[in-house]
Amino acid sequence: MKLHFKKHWRIWLLVVFVLVSTVAVFAPLGGDGGITGPAEDETNTAGSQYTNLQFGLELSGGTQVRAPFVGMSVSDLEFGPDAESEIEGTLQSELGLGAGDVRADAEAGTVEVFDDSVAGNTTRAEFADALSAAGYEVEESDVRMGVTADTREGVEDVLNDRLRERGLGGGTASQVTAPGQRYMVVEVPGANRSEVIDLIGDRGQVEILALYPGDGGYETQSLLSQSDLAEIGGAQQEQGETFVPIRLNEQAGQRFGDAMRENGFDQQGGTRCSYELERSLEENMDDDPGRCLLTVLDGEVVFAAGVAPNLASSFESGAFDEDPSYRTTTTSFEDARELEINMRTGALRTTLDIDERGTTFFLLPSLAERFKPLSIVTGAAAVLAVSFMVFLRYRRPEIAAPMILTAAAEVYILLGFAAAVNLALDLSHIAGFIAVIGTGVDDLVIIADEIMQQGDVSTSRVFESRFRKAFWVIGAAAATTIIAMSPLAVLSLGELQGFAIITIVGVLIGVLITRPAYGDILRILVLRNE
Amino acid sequence: MDVSVPEVDYTEYTNRELVAVPLTLLGVALAILVVATVISGTPVALGIEFTGGTEMQVVTDESQAEIESTFDGEVSSITPIAGQSNAYQLTFQADDADPILQQAEGAGYEVESIGERSASFAADSQRQALFALLIAFGGMAALVALMFRTFVPSIAVIASAFSDLVIPLALMRLFGIELTLGTVAALLMLIGYSVDSDLLLNNHVLRRRGDFYTSTFRAMQTGVTMTVTSIAAMIVMTVVASLLGIPLLPDVGLILVFGLLTDLMNTYLLNVSLLRYYKYEGVAK
Repeated sequence: MKLHFKKHWRIWLLVVFVLVSTVAVFAPLGGDGGITGPAEDETNTAGSQYTNLQFGLELSGGTQVRAPFVGMSVSDLEFGPDAESEIEGTLQSELGLGAGDVRADAEAGTVEVFDDSVAGNTTRAEFADALSAAGYEVEESDVRMGVTADTREGVEDVLNDRLRERGLGGGTASQVTAPGQRYMVVEVPGANRSEVIDLIGDRGQVEILALYPGDGGYETQSLLSQSDLAEIGGAQQEQGETFVPIRLNEQAGQRFGDAMRENGFDQQGGTRCSYELERSLEENMDDDPGRCLLTVLDGEVVFAAGVAPNLASSFESGAFDEDPSYRTTTTSFEDARELEINMRTGALRTTLDIDERGTTFFLLPSLAERFKPLSIVTGAAAVLAVSFMVFLRYRRPEIAAPMILTAAAEVYILLGFAAAVNLALDLSHIAGFIAVIGTGVDDLVIIADEIMQQGDVSTSRVFESRFRKAFWVIGAAAATTIIAMSPLAVLSLGELQGFAIITIVGVLIGVLITRPAYGDILRILVLRNE
Repeated sequence: MDVSVPEVDYTEYTNRELVAVPLTLLGVALAILVVATVISGTPVALGIEFTGGTEMQVVTDESQAEIESTFDGEVSSITPIAGQSNAYQLTFQADDADPILQQAEGAGYEVESIGERSASFAADSQRQALFALLIAFGGMAALVALMFRTFVPSIAVIASAFSDLVIPLALMRLFGIELTLGTVAALLMLIGYSVDSDLLLNNHVLRRRGDFYTSTFRAMQTGVTMTVTSIAAMIVMTVVASLLGIPLLPDVGLILVFGLLTDLMNTYLLNVSLLRYYKYEGVAK
């Protein structure tokens, strides 16, 4: 028996695909491993040490959070860049929201509020009315739940930055679109639930306020926010003090120095501060706390301190304005680390509504690890069952053996595909693999029966005609399976998407590569005497 | 052991007799689903993916009653996990996992997995899953109609596929299997599997020269082998996965077994008789 290159090209094609899959699954990631991200991330990804296969949460353990974005938006508005702050101001006062909760973008023609009736208490009608009050006639029906693409991308970037800063490099945040809604899906292998929610749940808006006695009682003034920082050092611990060293940019340094001098923070010997963190800002103001610098995270004062003598004198001399370096002190090293991450990655424009509209999932990594070999055992058992049935039915190893080998090649190529596109395998994919073995063998049975059933195959032409007849059924069945699975591949039903993709790709590999190859193998076997 | 497919003598039975069994079973299945809907609001029990709530897997030495008293809120169900001693699957109506997690950890349980789904997200998933099933079924029906372009053979395939979905759904209700994302996937898979053997039968009977009964027998030989092979694979997957305590796979396997058995009946009773009617009476008229 010879394998002619031209005559049996279908078999050669199968061989090529099996080889390519071997490379995809087993070859160590070389130069083009860029898809998996920077080198330091690789140790954290949920891959396997022997193969390039990636495993999803169900097989590696960790936490997944899916949640929609808080907010509403109106698009297709026309206004100039000058009108932005006016619109924002009107919306803030009409809806009783903070400065960070509204955003007008002249270039995109969009206005959004980062609050809605589910996670907050602004309704679509109220948003429409407020915008009308600002001079833009909009109806309630013009208000869309969800935020703009720009905001979503910003949130995605910040979340990915935070995961990296936190050393959770294997984690990813990505957007998922479902009809009428968009979700953010954050997956962090190996991390537990509270760790992830703490990291992604807050906006992380850092602000430094000055608190000082003014003409009619205590006043506060915002000194700087994230955008004023030129340099952020690593969180440090020194002589029992934990802090994040920061350096302001030039304008902010000047402004900071001016504000300090105007409000008496430059007095000799520094300032005294008796601010108590357990009490609210208002309560503290009534109690004569002295001159304080407050570190505020998401509207909550997390640290308060007076100005040390040497800092006060550098305010006075203007040395600070020249070299605006500063230590944001915190109560613990943990806090310092959190503050640093928040300052580095910037604030989220809007939050994810995990509580009301989200889902979370955590699986213990040690348990998930056990599922990996066990699901291989299950798959192998299914293959054995199929082989046993096929042998019973045909009683001819030369028909049955290639059938099982071909079906196995199909799954192997599918694994190669999964490794090549970095698909993270989950239990639903394993179910998909087993389903593919099932349909694969079904189709091979159709081919074998069609060719063997009506007596001996004497010529190549008879073979061709029978093979083509068999292929009509196979093609039609494959088309139906693909149609039945395609809605799942598009909808965002979580794990079902993976199942559908595996099934569709499996069917395609079967129809285009493995089943024609099996036809050729059979041809060689039945026409051996030709 | 003789495993060749037995030849059924269809000439002994009238179309009416052949159709009676599958139609009666379909009727019973529909009745079960209707009654279930009236009593509990949904045709099949829905898993937390579709109702919202919290699902937790814990390991503890405590008894089920002790576990129940650990939590402030009501525990909807406690199921021991197969293949793992002292492990339990707990479900809660409440969709806030934080207090539940705290109480479990406070009691010294090892939390192996915890998932929460908010009610509104679950309602969304429910809508989307229903939508996916309808689209999949509609797409299959349209494709089948396009392939045969005649009424009776197309309807035969579509009716079989419909019954292949409805009877497993009724069985899910009877066996208390919840509709989860995994089982929805199994139902969709069933659409594909179910059409396979029907297409094969129609193809043999309509597109080949030769006697109706010979064609039917040939199609049966191939078709029954296919379906029985798949059933064997699925039974093995169900048994092995549940012995090993792997979630999801047993449910998927069991539903496919139900569906494939139904498919055997529907293809070789319902579809055959509709085709015979078409071949001998429908075309003549």
